[in-house]
Amino acid sequence: MESDDPRLLLGVFAPDRVRSIVVITTDGELAVAVRETVPSGVAVVRDARPDDAEEVAAACLPWPWMVVGTTDALRPGLASMLRLRPVLTLWLGPAPAGLPSHAVGFDRHSAVLAAIAGACVANVGGMRLAPGSGVELGDGSLLRGATLDALIGAYPRGFALPSRTFRSINDALARAGTGWTTARDASARVTLVPSPSSAVAQ
Amino acid sequence: MRANPEVLILEDDAETLEGLQSHFTRKRFHPLAARSASRALSLLEHNQFSSRPVLAIVDWDLGKAPDQAASSGDVLSRLARELRECPVIVYSQNIDAFNVRSQIQRSHPRALLHDKRDGDASLLERVDRMLDRTVGDLRIHDGTVVVHLPSLDQHHHREAIRLVVHHPDVVTFHSDTSTKAVRRFGEWLREHDSAVRLVSHGNRKYRLNVTVTT
Repeated sequence: MESDDPRLLLGVFAPDRVRSIVVITTDGELAVAVRETVPSGVAVVRDARPDDAEEVAAACLPWPWMVVGTTDALRPGLASMLRLRPVLTLWLGPAPAGLPSHAVGFDRHSAVLAAIAGACVANVGGMRLAPGSGVELGDGSLLRGATLDALIGAYPRGFALPSRTFRSINDALARAGTGWTTARDASARVTLVPSPSSAVAQ
Repeated sequence: MRANPEVLILEDDAETLEGLQSHFTRKRFHPLAARSASRALSLLEHNQFSSRPVLAIVDWDLGKAPDQAASSGDVLSRLARELRECPVIVYSQNIDAFNVRSQIQRSHPRALLHDKRDGDASLLERVDRMLDRTVGDLRIHDGTVVVHLPSLDQHHHREAIRLVVHHPDVVTFHSDTSTKAVRRFGEWLREHDSAVRLVSHGNRKYRLNVTVTT
């Protein structure tokens, strides 16, 4: 059912399963720069304002791949989603209350753009982000799942989330014979690591 | 089966619109041409059960449109909500202004931007580059045919064109008929031992993948 709010008819609120980057600013300038940074086909950039960022993020199915912000406040619903889901969270300037501990802060435009560009072309043991969604393995096959997309983009960093969030990804990585799994790093964040069995085999 | 792909063109200047229309007609596309946003919305509305344009070209500034009941932003938002896999080129004299870019991006996050000051020829060149595409050993010829280059065999269906035009993006197909056409195209690729393979993402979503041989 369509909303009665004409503002919500904008394309930025249209639900989509393609990998998304939500950029929250008061004027849209950073979103324009992010869009110029992201290679074609890797992710759709959604230009959000502080008062509609929650609705924009909700349109990214199942959740945004990345949220980039410059605002000093965050609506509680969006903050809660960022703390519960593996979403790459990058902030320019002072971080608002409620961001997850795995959020990465920046003080320069160029640094945040470089981090976004790096995440888009991440290569973890031959696994790369496929166009649109999913992860392409070294043999050309595809593993689908927003959690794995997030782990690849964040590597070598990880997420301060419960291990159960990553259980199904571990199973999928093992079934596909990637030689990778997830584990907690020194900062207690879950990240991708070579699986012990593949290390033994080598 | 032959089915000419459609292109939506929204341009408020009659002369420019005619030029664009003739260009696509020559290339055997079926142009859905409109001088106002309301007309473009109406074309999309009445066209939605027949087919879906493989490309939309939208002039952002519609000051000369015969009616101002709707804006180019409304058309972009409709395309983003209902035809999100259709590539959209938006052109404007003010494309450098970040607030214009931001407005376009909020109306249609995937829209491609083009500078109107570069002239119509530059726009058409870009469109041709998008449509006359080569993907692996496949090439689109005259906008209506996918040619397997090693054998020169041809596949005529707009859904096949759509997949090649959108490579490497995932394309969603919205009817059983179009999904069947896509599967037939996948079989055709296998029969021709093409370097391009059809990849299913489930829920009527497909993309083409080029196999790299060493």
